[in-house]
Amino acid sequence: MGDSYLDLLMAQQEEAPTEGITAEGGGGVWVVADVVNGELAPVILEAFGAARTLADMLGAYVYGVLLGEGVADLVPTLYQAGADSARVADHPSLARFAVEPYLRVLSDLFETEQPEVVIFGATHAGRQLAARLAQASGGGLIERVVAVSLDEATRTVQASVPIYGGEYFEIVACPEARPQFLTVEPGAFPAPFLDAYRTGEPTLLEVEPVEPRVRVVGETEGFEPPEVPLSRAPVIVVAGRQAGDFELVKQLAAMLGGRVTGDRGARDAGWIEPGQVIDVRGAEVAPQVYVAVGVRGDTFHNAAIEGAGFVAAIHPDPDAPIFRVADLCLEADPADVLPALIEALG
Amino acid sequence: MKIVVILGRVLDPAGIVVNRRRGRIFVNREEYVMQPADACALEAALRIKDGSDAEVIALPHGLLPDDDVLRQALSMGADRAIHFVGQVAEQLEGSPLTYGDAVMARVLAAAVERLGDADLVLVGATTLDTGQSQLGSRLAEALGWPQIVEAWAVRVVGDHVETVCYIPPPLRGGLGGNPYAILEADLPAVVTVHPGALKLRYPDGTRLINVYRDERAVEVWDATDLVDADILKPLLEKRGQDFPPERERGVWLEGAPQEMAQALASELRKRVGRRA
Repeated sequence: MGDSYLDLLMAQQEEAPTEGITAEGGGGVWVVADVVNGELAPVILEAFGAARTLADMLGAYVYGVLLGEGVADLVPTLYQAGADSARVADHPSLARFAVEPYLRVLSDLFETEQPEVVIFGATHAGRQLAARLAQASGGGLIERVVAVSLDEATRTVQASVPIYGGEYFEIVACPEARPQFLTVEPGAFPAPFLDAYRTGEPTLLEVEPVEPRVRVVGETEGFEPPEVPLSRAPVIVVAGRQAGDFELVKQLAAMLGGRVTGDRGARDAGWIEPGQVIDVRGAEVAPQVYVAVGVRGDTFHNAAIEGAGFVAAIHPDPDAPIFRVADLCLEADPADVLPALIEALG
Repeated sequence: MKIVVILGRVLDPAGIVVNRRRGRIFVNREEYVMQPADACALEAALRIKDGSDAEVIALPHGLLPDDDVLRQALSMGADRAIHFVGQVAEQLEGSPLTYGDAVMARVLAAAVERLGDADLVLVGATTLDTGQSQLGSRLAEALGWPQIVEAWAVRVVGDHVETVCYIPPPLRGGLGGNPYAILEADLPAVVTVHPGALKLRYPDGTRLINVYRDERAVEVWDATDLVDADILKPLLEKRGQDFPPERERGVWLEGAPQEMAQALASELRKRVGRRA
């Protein structure tokens, strides 16, 4: 008597290949942790969230890699964030990030493990390591990823990347080359719930000390980077006639890492130079973030900020025209809001 | 001394409008400009040349359909410019990108080796359109050279390159409060230059006219002589576009000034982001 359909189906399932999905090596989704001030960088927890999602779709395991000196305390967090297995390289030569020592550990590890997907945070260290490992291994690298999905037929990650600062996104995939390297943008993925019941024993990696090829000579004396032109400044804080204390406006701009300028009222008050007035007849701007403090917003001013990505306006008059172009409106006296805002940002 | 600068181009964002509601990009004026970070890399190279007998050679970031950025470089003071032709990588339809940095790193590394005796390669730290920063690191790996990323100032001292770089606060280690530090590496090296790091010079008028009149001002190399033709295709491919939701104008915050300040602070923190 022949086998039933159920027998055949079960036999097929038993024969299903398991290669590439064992927790002990081969394939898998790997997250390389970034340690900052003795803690995991927030983007790394977010990367574990993305890795867990991808691994569940791929039917693969998530591996965490931790490099540094005295980082053993951080290992439980890797498991709690979603790692099924962890590799740890703990060595004095890794105390401070340098490309060559980190690269040696990771390239040796990945040569052995042959990962399917490797995720880094889009940080100073992550961007460099991902690009160099991708070049060395022949892998594809998708940078600044803000969302992921999976082409299940080819086990290819499809990632959204922001174009022109997030005006729109392109969905990009690396269909052939493996591993698929990704760097994830900070804040793009939700941090996973840290499950205190998830634990494990990490595998310790042997570290062969490598001398960094870039040396830190010391601090610069009196170096000031050139000022970004207003038209290209990504963050602008603008004072208007109702701004109150201009020093507070300058302090806010410094905290946001942006440029400070004003409208015609600020020019009349002598706070800014005539050429810095935000106005279609003066300076037109297109920053990602524009904070208008006590700016009423006449037609010429509002037309000059049409290209701004996000506009927040603080003004005591609810009928002020600036509120017609603002994304976030605060009907309040800047003198009341600014001190609290500066305290909250500090 | 031989300095190689890698120059790319980008569709001028002032000429495009993104309509999120329709999910379309309207190109009102198709004008390409030099990538701002690459322009700073060129300026850094020219400043080194100003104080020495360095030779500055411009190479393209990508298999570009025209040599305009290279002619701009010549008019600004570069000594040589080389344009790659051959099997042009497939331009992704409707995309400002070619996603071909993996391939270009190999092409450029082969070109740098063919030029011989290059001491320094300068490239922009990031692209304006996609924010990609992988070319410099990939090139350093392909050449086996050290790399310094996101330099604000570059100078050559003896047999090493000295740069000023921004070090994020968490990585400063033993350094003091100044966020900028001096990093150095032995030559040859790859250095990526931060966009906006340097004030650019204007092209010389006479030189500009001559460079654009002279058809042979830019040398032409066949990319397939440098690398195997089979690899001249991007590793990445575009699978679609996505548009964020339309902006909601006029969200009013309620409450006492302190509460409004808290809400605004949280929104600003989210948008300005973390520098780490």
